[in-house]
Amino acid sequence: MIVPDDLRYSTEHEWARPDGRKVRVGITDYAQDALGDVVFVDLPAVGKQIDAGSLLGEVESTKSVSEVYAPVSGTVRAVNDTLRDAPEILNADPYGQGWICELEVTDAAQVEGLLDASAYAKLTGS
Amino acid sequence: MHSTSLRRTALFDAHVALGAKMVEFGGFEMPLSYPSGTVKEHLSCRGDAVVFDVSHLGTVRVSGTEARVTLDLALCNDLTKIAPGRAQYTQLLNDDGGVLDDIIIWWVSTNVFDVMPNASNTERVLAAVGGDDVTAGRTVLAVQGPNARRRLLEIAPDAAGVGRFRVAPASVAGRAAVVAGTGYTGEDGIEIAVDNADASHVFAAILDAGVLPAGLGARDTLRLEAGLPLHGHELSETITPLEAGLGWVVGWDKAKFRGKDALLAQRASGLSRTLRGFSTSTRQPPRDGAEVLVDGATAGVVTSGNFSPVLGHGIALGLVSTSRPLEVGQRVQLNVRDRRLDAACVAVPFVKKKA
Repeated sequence: MIVPDDLRYSTEHEWARPDGRKVRVGITDYAQDALGDVVFVDLPAVGKQIDAGSLLGEVESTKSVSEVYAPVSGTVRAVNDTLRDAPEILNADPYGQGWICELEVTDAAQVEGLLDASAYAKLTGS
Repeated sequence: MHSTSLRRTALFDAHVALGAKMVEFGGFEMPLSYPSGTVKEHLSCRGDAVVFDVSHLGTVRVSGTEARVTLDLALCNDLTKIAPGRAQYTQLLNDDGGVLDDIIIWWVSTNVFDVMPNASNTERVLAAVGGDDVTAGRTVLAVQGPNARRRLLEIAPDAAGVGRFRVAPASVAGRAAVVAGTGYTGEDGIEIAVDNADASHVFAAILDAGVLPAGLGARDTLRLEAGLPLHGHELSETITPLEAGLGWVVGWDKAKFRGKDALLAQRASGLSRTLRGFSTSTRQPPRDGAEVLVDGATAGVVTSGNFSPVLGHGIALGLVSTSRPLEVGQRVQLNVRDRRLDAACVAVPFVKKKA
């Protein structure tokens, strides 16, 4: 499994890419592999305020549903609309074109509380 | 259920070597998908050919001069409608007409029948029909898709020519096999039974012939698009074949078979529920257990639902009340985890085999 060094991770298999007050969020390679072919992504509404650990959306494969939780608290500023018609991108490129949404973080220090790549790799046995 | 370890088919190592994701199913460790993924496997079956290891299905061999009579008493379809060298879909019912299992029978030769139940129901079928459980000694491969016969032509010309619902001995990649023109995908196809000792060789030859391996994930989405029932969903101990729209499986002309009295009574009094197909307009998969709502009121429940890779939107089968009959084209809603998906009642199969 791929675990990029420059990202932070939740124990629920989301990744976070901090960029100033914005954090781009997606699910990890481990998570997309466990799900299998993604056929539907339920994206959050832009403008929605969300607490860390709350439900951000759902990712569904033919076999199962996986909930996506906000790794940090913030306001949804953008969503990846491409996933509505081409959710398979999430399998092909989970850390790049398969991103789910961007949050404007409430407290930038929360990002520091997430796992780093080596801790996440250890968690998933990658 | 026993808490014993999971069974493996003779091809377990081959699946792992191909990179398959293995899951528990019916007491076996089976491939869910290969690295190509469920959607590609599904579309390859609709457009070319795939091969499934279906050795988890049981094989109960019933032999002898009384075998046909025994089976016709135990099972609801009528073997006198077919003959040696043919296959038949049938069901084991309880006294209430509920479906204990649905089964394919291969009438291998005059006094030899291979009765093939679902994996988890093999023991109850064995108890009902007697015979020998030969599941552990043989491997069954299902080669399915519009190009299945063409792909098999080089390695198994006899198998490639077996007719729909015909059963015949054949040589497959030089090994003795019994083959049948049966399957569970809605496509043309051939199922091949070989000794476990020949399984790896035959499987490898089929892959070399350009057939993509496919797992249980694709098997489920394929059968759903084809509108084929799955035991535990559209069929169960509390659902009769009539409710599931499978009246053609019932051998009414037989003097006696288990469940007949209950089915006669149900036919006389009319059905209180019936199976319908639904189509949604978005990609979100409807799931089993979702309520079917008509004008906001509960009218039934989804028994199977998923994303259709061919159609690009959700499809579902559901059991609905007959008190207000649902017509094709009628608008309904499917309540999937508290989200109401707009849907329409549609004809089944959702995807028809190309002519």
